[in-house]
Amino acid sequence: MSEEKPLFNVYEVFVQKDHGSPHVWVGSVDAGSPDDALLMARENFLRRETAVSIWVVRQQDVHRTDYEDRDFFARESDKQYRMLSGYNKSNAEKWRKYKKSLLDLEKDFVKD
Amino acid sequence: MTEAERHAAFMARIERGEKIEASDWMPAEYRITLVKFMQMHALSEIMGALPEKEWVPRAPTLARKLSLMAKVQDEMGHGQLILRVAEDLAAPLGKTREDLVEELFTGVAKFHNVFHMPAPTWADCGIIGWLVDGAAVVSQAALLDSSYGPYARVLQRVCAEEGFHIQHGESICLALAEGTPAQRQMLQEALNRWWEALLLFFGPAETNSASATILLKYRFRTKTNEDLRQKFFTKYVPRIWSLGLTLPDPDFRWDEAQGRWIYTAPDWSKLKEIARNQGPLSQYRLGLRRMSYEQARWVREALLGKVVA
Repeated sequence: MSEEKPLFNVYEVFVQKDHGSPHVWVGSVDAGSPDDALLMARENFLRRETAVSIWVVRQQDVHRTDYEDRDFFARESDKQYRMLSGYNKSNAEKWRKYKKSLLDLEKDFVKD
Repeated sequence: MTEAERHAAFMARIERGEKIEASDWMPAEYRITLVKFMQMHALSEIMGALPEKEWVPRAPTLARKLSLMAKVQDEMGHGQLILRVAEDLAAPLGKTREDLVEELFTGVAKFHNVFHMPAPTWADCGIIGWLVDGAAVVSQAALLDSSYGPYARVLQRVCAEEGFHIQHGESICLALAEGTPAQRQMLQEALNRWWEALLLFFGPAETNSASATILLKYRFRTKTNEDLRQKFFTKYVPRIWSLGLTLPDPDFRWDEAQGRWIYTAPDWSKLKEIARNQGPLSQYRLGLRRMSYEQARWVREALLGKVVA
């Protein structure tokens, strides 16, 4: 084995496709330096796709949750009250009652 | 937890269809078998670029040369991505990336049987892109749902790019099929040459090797060699026929009653020769790989010189 030899560092790679999108993790590369990691990332992940930015982060600098720590992600309660789906169905039912008057109003106010 | 309890918990995760990650506890046989499988896949991507690289200087047009170069580059890139994933899993075994790469030269690691074959004409390049990569996509797409998360994720990118390779190969084959009688003949001869290799590609029908059993048990793969070969026939044989090409197997047919394709078995003993690196071009291609690995040593050393502690 090669214990005494220097080893490449692993860099995690994040690519931002355009200014409107977040950086998204795409994979990792081996490199000696951050500059090399950016080049390797471009060659490995952007041979076709375009992008506006790449981040590389040394794998050892990434702090992470443990996959086995299910408690960290526990959902003790129903989260419907935070979601669209918690409201839109009952709202739609109610709006149906007002449909006719709504249409009449639109007729009066929306002229195009 | 005792070792047995851990193992039972791991199997329960596999059976629930959960994905295993590099940092999770896993049985030694899972880790060892997966490292071997991914190492072979990565090395095969790199070795697979060689038969086509031979054709880059001889491509018939600039457009063909560009497209072939892009494919060769993709294959090397896939080798890099898969090695990266294999490396994380191999680290606890005391193995480095270099070890994984260099085991090819000592014969400890193998490369895929299909890349031991010669590619003497331009039509071979077309057949490799269309049908060898077609076979590769059939077998890799079946692994997209693999129990090992990092490998399944990297395969998404690999499969997407292989889709381009098939189009590139189809484009070459369609041009030859619509070309002069000599071009059509060249295409037919290349198909004849590759047919047996395409059957050998998926391995023997009876997959009862120790590693195949382990890979199935842990749902790293779920399809057998024969399932994949039949799938390949269903997808590609009608297309081959539609171009007016013939298969070099007079007994090849669809059997309605059995619901499967009937084919003349290839000479399976050839797989054993290839596994010993005694295939038609095994030594030649290993020589090329050794040469490029040595010639690029100074580059790796220069890059390593910059390692940030």
